[in-house]
Amino acid sequence: MIIFKTFLKILLKNKFIIITYTAILIFFGCFNTQTNDNTTNFSATKPDILIINKDENKGLTKDLITYLNKNSNIKKIPDKKYSLDDALFYRDVNYIIYIPKDFREDFLANKNPQIKIKSTKDYQASLAEMMLKRYLKTATIYHSEIPNEKDLLESINSTLKVSTQIQMTTKLNTNSLNKMISYYNFANYSILAGCVYVICLILSSFKEKSIRKRTIISSLKSSTYNLNLLLSNSLFALILWIFYVILSIILVGNAMFTPHGILLIINSFIFTLCALTLAFFIGTLLSNKNAINGIVNVIALGSSFLCGSFVPIEYLPKSVTQIAHILPSYYYIKNNELIKKIEIINLKTINEVLINGIILIIFILIFILLTNIISKKRRDFSYQ
Amino acid sequence: MRHNFKYTLKILFQNKALIFWTFAFPIILGTFFNMAFSDIEKNEKLAIIDVAVVKNEKFENDEFLKNALKILSDKKNKDQLFNIEYVNQKQAKKLLVEDKITGYLIVTNKPKIVIKSNGINETIFKYIIEEITTTKKMVNIIANNRLYKEIPTNKISNIENFYTSIYKKILSLKDESINIKDISNKNLSYTMIEFYTLIAMACLYGGIIGMTAINNNLPNMSNKGKRIAISSIPKKKLLLSTVAASYLVQLIGLILLFIYTIFILKIDYGDNIFLIILLSLVSSLAGLSLGITVSCLIKSSENTKTGIILALTMFCCFLSGMMGITMKYIIDKNIPLLNKINPASMITDGFYSLYYYDTLSRYTKNIISLLIFSIILLVIATFCLRRQKYDNI
Repeated sequence: MIIFKTFLKILLKNKFIIITYTAILIFFGCFNTQTNDNTTNFSATKPDILIINKDENKGLTKDLITYLNKNSNIKKIPDKKYSLDDALFYRDVNYIIYIPKDFREDFLANKNPQIKIKSTKDYQASLAEMMLKRYLKTATIYHSEIPNEKDLLESINSTLKVSTQIQMTTKLNTNSLNKMISYYNFANYSILAGCVYVICLILSSFKEKSIRKRTIISSLKSSTYNLNLLLSNSLFALILWIFYVILSIILVGNAMFTPHGILLIINSFIFTLCALTLAFFIGTLLSNKNAINGIVNVIALGSSFLCGSFVPIEYLPKSVTQIAHILPSYYYIKNNELIKKIEIINLKTINEVLINGIILIIFILIFILLTNIISKKRRDFSYQ
Repeated sequence: MRHNFKYTLKILFQNKALIFWTFAFPIILGTFFNMAFSDIEKNEKLAIIDVAVVKNEKFENDEFLKNALKILSDKKNKDQLFNIEYVNQKQAKKLLVEDKITGYLIVTNKPKIVIKSNGINETIFKYIIEEITTTKKMVNIIANNRLYKEIPTNKISNIENFYTSIYKKILSLKDESINIKDISNKNLSYTMIEFYTLIAMACLYGGIIGMTAINNNLPNMSNKGKRIAISSIPKKKLLLSTVAASYLVQLIGLILLFIYTIFILKIDYGDNIFLIILLSLVSSLAGLSLGITVSCLIKSSENTKTGIILALTMFCCFLSGMMGITMKYIIDKNIPLLNKINPASMITDGFYSLYYYDTLSRYTKNIISLLIFSIILLVIATFCLRRQKYDNI
């Protein structure tokens, strides 16, 4: 009990820095969870495009713009010195189309006028280019047969109207799921950084030479002492975890109470325990109070970047994910991604999730074991 | 003066925490960035999409669709879009469940696409199938149009040849004959911004070096400061040598970071080495003046001062796009003033304009803003450091 009391005392003494730190982490966490509207019907991905029209807005030119408008999001950005190029660079738009002056007239006069474009050359831009080419191709083919503009537009539109029947098999609300996953993936950083920082801070106070000496000569067994400290620190980790779960319910809403949401919450709980034992292990190793900040950043940022907390795991290079296998965060984030894909939850489908969970528990046991070995060794050597 | 310069260097290099934050941390963070972001842009480029087609009677009879898909999945075709597996419906469903394919096509009365969820690959799949159907429809419309005109003249002898000729005409219109010209800039890699914010962070963290060095000279910070304050050396000389030494340390750190990012991480800073060096020198000066000013203005322990600089730097870098590249763009678009007074944004924007734009006007504007920023802070610091008097410490 005395250990727990001391723990609380230190925690309260550092409350300001702990609250600030947690608030910053939460702020970034909230910022990272973007809002999306939710749907389970097919909706085509629409590229963001920008049209700079120097031609009169009528006839063929107007029809082209209407067609593009229907199939993409047309952005309105004032044509200032750098604004268009900036928008393209930061992917605010994927495709810029410059319709030249007299485009309509030249086209109808078979002059094949040139359209200039700027493109980000990604998926969205490729899609936008397909649309533009499809319209121009259709128009060119028809124009050689149908010289009259009105009939031409009619034929173009009746052709481009064709749409393919689509059937979607998933019944999952992918958007709210995506939101949950991105929140819980980011929580990897917040939980890890929060636990390692606070627990190292507290443990370093326990390790001050005079205090440590007093504890060692007491009748308390080393493993009991460690266990007591671990349990007290668990309280902090538990509060941190509950806090994040409540926040996810506020941010995502009722979807957190679906089986998928519950699985995510359980997964994050196991990970919190893992972060706790890892923090405890690091805290035992660390003897310099000034090094805490550096260690926290390297460990939390490192495992977040390597395991796909900030950047989706499928975008990471193979070599990086290979290295990531040695980190507990990898299994936690892998589980989040697996949960996202499960359609119906039963023992067979969550098999892999369970295996990753067990790996996390093995990590927990290894960290506890290492902590005990090291703290005992340290005591034997340094205070003889 | 040389004595003070030498000892300031010695003191700074022996401060392990300081060297970690200003030398090692940016390099570690850069490595993480590189690991995480190196493949992002590659993944955003249009890749070949895996799909399946259900082989049934209706599909086998649709020569047009069969041919079109064959061309689109031809491995020799440089515009190959699909990787197609021809299977039965059961297998197709299985492939979809196992995430092996984006979706599958089944021809009943009309072509139908079965997919799992929304997405860009799914949209492109749908779009291409529509395009094939469109072409078919085009043949019909043109044929009707011609038939209408030509039947009275009895020009058409063989109706099959007639359709084939129209079909050939449509296919002969290649993509190249569409007059589209790409005028976009070749440097479009937006992940570079991450590394530019990293340089900005390193420059502003350099402020901690300046702060530590100035703290050594302040009588209210340490006994060393008291001793230095009562020495007979003119204050001006003392401060100048201290600042010069910390600027040197800062630049050494920055050079290491540049060497690491250019030669190991292969970061592209543009072609003009001279302008890059100039921007780095000015950026470091901005960081240094920030550190000195914090050190003079805020009367508290060294840890608090370090904390303030770290937090301020992180916040500035957040606004200039370190935690999400679009952040800088959002601020530029909505609250431009905020980024005009944010040193991290000026530095990032300076490198960005060197990398992305051909003209130098934007770069020059950033250099001038950084200089004004540094001068204002240095003037404030000078006023604070002048004629300091203590009744007691």
